Amino acid sequence: MSPEHDSDRADLGHPDPEFDPHALNQEDFLNEVHSFEFWFQAVEGYLRDRPYGHAEGEQSSPVGVADLGQSEKDSLITTLCNYCVGETAALEGASGMIAIAPNRHSKIFLATQVADEARHLEVFLHRLRDLGIANPEAEIERRANPTLLVFKRRLLELVRSGDWSAALLAQNVILESMEHSAFMVHAATADPVTAEILDGVMKDERRHLGFGENDLGRLLADHPGNRARLAGIRGELDGLVLAVFSRAADDLATDRSMRADMGREYLETMDRLGLV
Amino acid sequence: MADFLNSYSIQRWLELCPQGYLEDTVYGHEEGESEAEVLLADDDLRTDAIRSTVQLVVGERAALAASSGLVNAAPDYPSKHFLATQTLDEARHVEIFTQRLFDLGVKKADLESTIDHFANPHLVKFAEVLLEKVDSGDFIAGVVGQNIVLEGLAFSVFEMMETSNRVSNPKFAHTLAGTIADERRHVGFGENRIGSLIKEHPEKKSEIEQMQKDMAYHMLKTFSLSFDEGRDNVDKARDVMGDVGSADFHGTDLSTATSEEMQTVLEQTVIGEFKTRLARIGLEYQAPVGV
Repeated sequence: MSPEHDSDRADLGHPDPEFDPHALNQEDFLNEVHSFEFWFQAVEGYLRDRPYGHAEGEQSSPVGVADLGQSEKDSLITTLCNYCVGETAALEGASGMIAIAPNRHSKIFLATQVADEARHLEVFLHRLRDLGIANPEAEIERRANPTLLVFKRRLLELVRSGDWSAALLAQNVILESMEHSAFMVHAATADPVTAEILDGVMKDERRHLGFGENDLGRLLADHPGNRARLAGIRGELDGLVLAVFSRAADDLATDRSMRADMGREYLETMDRLGLV
Repeated sequence: MADFLNSYSIQRWLELCPQGYLEDTVYGHEEGESEAEVLLADDDLRTDAIRSTVQLVVGERAALAASSGLVNAAPDYPSKHFLATQTLDEARHVEIFTQRLFDLGVKKADLESTIDHFANPHLVKFAEVLLEKVDSGDFIAGVVGQNIVLEGLAFSVFEMMETSNRVSNPKFAHTLAGTIADERRHVGFGENRIGSLIKEHPEKKSEIEQMQKDMAYHMLKTFSLSFDEGRDNVDKARDVMGDVGSADFHGTDLSTATSEEMQTVLEQTVIGEFKTRLARIGLEYQAPVGV
């Protein structure tokens, strides 16, 4: 097993360090990893003693905020406001998908994802208050990236249409991949509290992305006729995702190589599914 | 409003539930606990346990569909956060009661057919009335139906089952104890959040009261059919389980009560709870007719 896989397994937080769910047959694998019990074990390791996503001692004196210049602080506020837009989309998308999920395992996994997404929204809202934003909801409305709002609207249309594979692609692959890429680049240069919050959020996103890739991969293997239709949806959403990245990179004033990292991870995920 | 909703945050839920009363549990009970041997050894009692557990799964599946469906309709972030925790609570309930069906010998391949076979048709109708409101995006009616009526029903049924299983089947009683703690939180949210919304939208009252009346009708029919189906096994269960001591549920000793007495005390308890909770949010309980 590669070091990367070792790290993934540590994120699972399973009480047995030798436990490898991938060694199970498919039915037992789904029973194991798409369960409340599994989610509970996974999040326990990185959420305990981290109220609102960061270590307790940092709660009243947000490390790093005092060191930020006015312009950096303003950029961070804009970035966090857009994370809230993305997480609201993820929350509403995941909760809407429970009704159309084709089986019990998927419904239960999505319920854990709903709680994760709501937690992300809550910790980002809390961070905005740390930064002195008294009315985060109004600030989000003022600073929301219009392209991200278009993406959100399109995602929720796909969910409402009841098209499971399209919703899964848009929510658990494209949106999760977009968020993970943006958070990863941001965490590398963020203040310590924001970086710690993002680290916990990314652990969740990896789980959501894993569910999306695995389920969609199986679905495409069983129904290859869906590939062209889903590639069309990917093509439609790619433009929005790359525009969101561009604006996010501007907000964070990231350098050229980090901008490239953001887009590359996203495109690699899409290519793994063969949706070209 | 915001202050009270802070106590329903994800952070509070994490501390209270997964890191609180569910800590060190497996599928809601202590590790190593199993169903009572005498129950597993007797086909009639085991079938009866499967039938009653199927109703719990049906109810919890409806609650999962309703709470997740209401997230999008919620008018503010704190309500969305709370409903997200409730969605996960309900999924956990689906999971632990489904696991109980497996523990009672239902094969995984037979799960859906077993549920279809034993599901009480009135309980299915009860869920349909609620989900119609959720599907139409009616947040106020949806929360009253879900967090006052369905949760109020579940709360009393779980309490009654927990009381009667405390000595004879501690594993199941422990499973129920965690769900009761969850339901208490859900009912509390419903009362606190909806009271103010009903004051803002008095025009919704009659429509919501009609929904409550329809749900109460199907609930009472569910009780009636369920107690009928289980009547023959009440004495047998007592013989097999032996003396488990008294089990008081709102003044009725469940260890000696007849099936009719148990049905009466459950109906009175649930309806009493409905009246109290509906009054707190400015609604009056509507008694169904023809049942």
